[in-house]
Amino acid sequence: MISQIDTASAFLSELTEYEESLFKNATPWLKGMRVKGLERFKSLGLPTIKDEEWKYTSLSPLAQKKFSFVGEQKLNDNRDLEKYVDRSEINIVYLNGFFAKELSNLDGLSNGLTIQNLKQALKENEQELQPLLSKYDAATQGAFAALNTAYFHDGAFIKVKKNMIADKLIHIIHITNGKIPDTISFPRTLIVLEASSEAAVLESHICSANESYLTNALTDIFVGENAHLDYGKGQNESPEAFHIGTTRIWQERDSNVEAFSLAAGSLLTRNDLSVTLDGPGAHATINGLYAITDKQHVDNHTAVNHKAPNCTSRELYKGILHQQARGVFNGKIFVQREAQLTNAYQLNKNLLLTKGCQIDTKPQLEIFADDVKCTHGATIGQLNEDEMFYLQSRAIPKTVAVKMLCRGFVDDILNEIKHNSIHLKLEKLLAHVLSVIS
Amino acid sequence: MLEIKNLHVSINEALILKGVNLTVNPGEVHAIMGPNGSGKSTLAKVIGGHPDYQVNSGTIDYEVNFKKVNLLEMEPEARAREGVFLAFQYPVEIPGVTTSVFLRAAFNEICKHQGAQEMDPIEFDEYVRGKMKLLSMANDKFIDRPVNVDFSGGEKKRNEILQMAVLSPRLAILDETDSGLDIDSLRIVAEGVNKLKKKDNAIVLITHYQRLLNYIVPDFVHIMHDGKIVRSEGKELALQVEERGYDWIT
Repeated sequence: MISQIDTASAFLSELTEYEESLFKNATPWLKGMRVKGLERFKSLGLPTIKDEEWKYTSLSPLAQKKFSFVGEQKLNDNRDLEKYVDRSEINIVYLNGFFAKELSNLDGLSNGLTIQNLKQALKENEQELQPLLSKYDAATQGAFAALNTAYFHDGAFIKVKKNMIADKLIHIIHITNGKIPDTISFPRTLIVLEASSEAAVLESHICSANESYLTNALTDIFVGENAHLDYGKGQNESPEAFHIGTTRIWQERDSNVEAFSLAAGSLLTRNDLSVTLDGPGAHATINGLYAITDKQHVDNHTAVNHKAPNCTSRELYKGILHQQARGVFNGKIFVQREAQLTNAYQLNKNLLLTKGCQIDTKPQLEIFADDVKCTHGATIGQLNEDEMFYLQSRAIPKTVAVKMLCRGFVDDILNEIKHNSIHLKLEKLLAHVLSVIS
Repeated sequence: MLEIKNLHVSINEALILKGVNLTVNPGEVHAIMGPNGSGKSTLAKVIGGHPDYQVNSGTIDYEVNFKKVNLLEMEPEARAREGVFLAFQYPVEIPGVTTSVFLRAAFNEICKHQGAQEMDPIEFDEYVRGKMKLLSMANDKFIDRPVNVDFSGGEKKRNEILQMAVLSPRLAILDETDSGLDIDSLRIVAEGVNKLKKKDNAIVLITHYQRLLNYIVPDFVHIMHDGKIVRSEGKELALQVEERGYDWIT
């Protein structure tokens, strides 16, 4: 019988040197937090399908690998990157988890906007970061959030001061240069919007090679009273890549978050997104789209926690699955006793293009208040034959017709991305996968 | 141009067409009338190549430019490229694809097949606007909207006629394009059909109402009943149907 500690230790076996250097240089509280995170990860072990939260996502392809942490790298070919970024915006680029200053541009930051490298911020500003980084107790979080807590190396720290509006998109780009197989990175992102401030942040995960690697990302977002955040996460990674990411959004009263998550590539993606509505009148829209083919696997676990009265949440996730692709959607809505007059909406819609693909979808409501409005649903369908016939009867070949109808299927959800530049970039990431399906 | 012989067709094992024979020559306009459920729309869809229908026996030969092909062996898009056009009774909505993009994709597929130069968006826009003017649709804004999404009934049917005009088919089959139209839209539809009428082209109108035939004069009127064409005559037959219904024929 293999214990949790064994699976965890085997998984971490190539990372001992990295761990030593990381822990050696940490201040006592940081080291304490890292140790706690590591203990948590070891006590949980690598999740298996016996774990309710991982029932439909097997990590055995991941468990067979030994990932190692490589040092700073250079990007030989930045054409893909340049095609994707807009140099008039703020770009923070991380290459294999390391801040790449020469690929970033942080000029022209508006007043009241702080963008720092987390590593540097920890040196200069530890007191401010401490409560933010330890908001969620390491001893209670999931295995991969705990692992990131233990091992995070670098990332972006973004802060918008009270009443300030950051007018340009802040684009964080994680690019993996897969020259060495089986590398691992632990990006950590911290976004803080103070009261009545406004910002738009996009996190993109892209790659410049087809190697295998694991990204274990953790993003914490704090949205203060009456603040507004447009947030996007986009992914189009190597067909051999693993991506296990956690995003936690904490919202205070009257704040508003418009979030969108796109998963368009990687061998296995798992996204855990949680939203805590902690003050009355807050609103969150969390939409997502997955478009996958071949043997790709995408698992979205979302949780919206209504903790205060008069909050609203809206969630629409759509998926297109092709070939042997497999999707998982699990959406939880919690309405706490004090969260009266909650209005929560959740829908998951799936389009299955081939016989071999599969989706497991599971909405879950837990309501402890008695005056609330919650709706949820899930649909799974195939391409409509009449629609296909209509297009074909106009001389449009079947393969093109499939693409057109897929584009039609995702149209409404893409149009809900209100921030223009986030919309544009996610469309770019999506275009690639839509061109290969059918 | 079109020769249908002894066509038997079923859907979900229910026999719908029970031996249809129809010959259409270039330059002719045919009207097919008949009560509900007689098989008119099935005939249109089978000519177009809808995958739901099972052809049990019979043939559909199609001849264009001295080349004879068996339509039943061809995919719907291949039929369209050879100049077969089907105007739908219930045009399908395609969100996210603007009508002009859709039309250009269709047009360029046919150009490609015929070895003609494809058009870029600017050229095509001019071409479509010209067609719209010709069809008295200059005031229509639907080409900038997603295909048929939230179109009125009249707009959907005008869009079908516009598609027909843009694709300039050799054989156009209009499946109840006139049903439910107000008189202005009906005129636009009829005008579109009359403009397509040339000595090399043929038109088959499937209709429920004689009214359309006040605007388009058919060379032949066929009455369909219970999966067969039971009577074929000149245009006077339509007037008789209008007066006496179908009972006297069947």
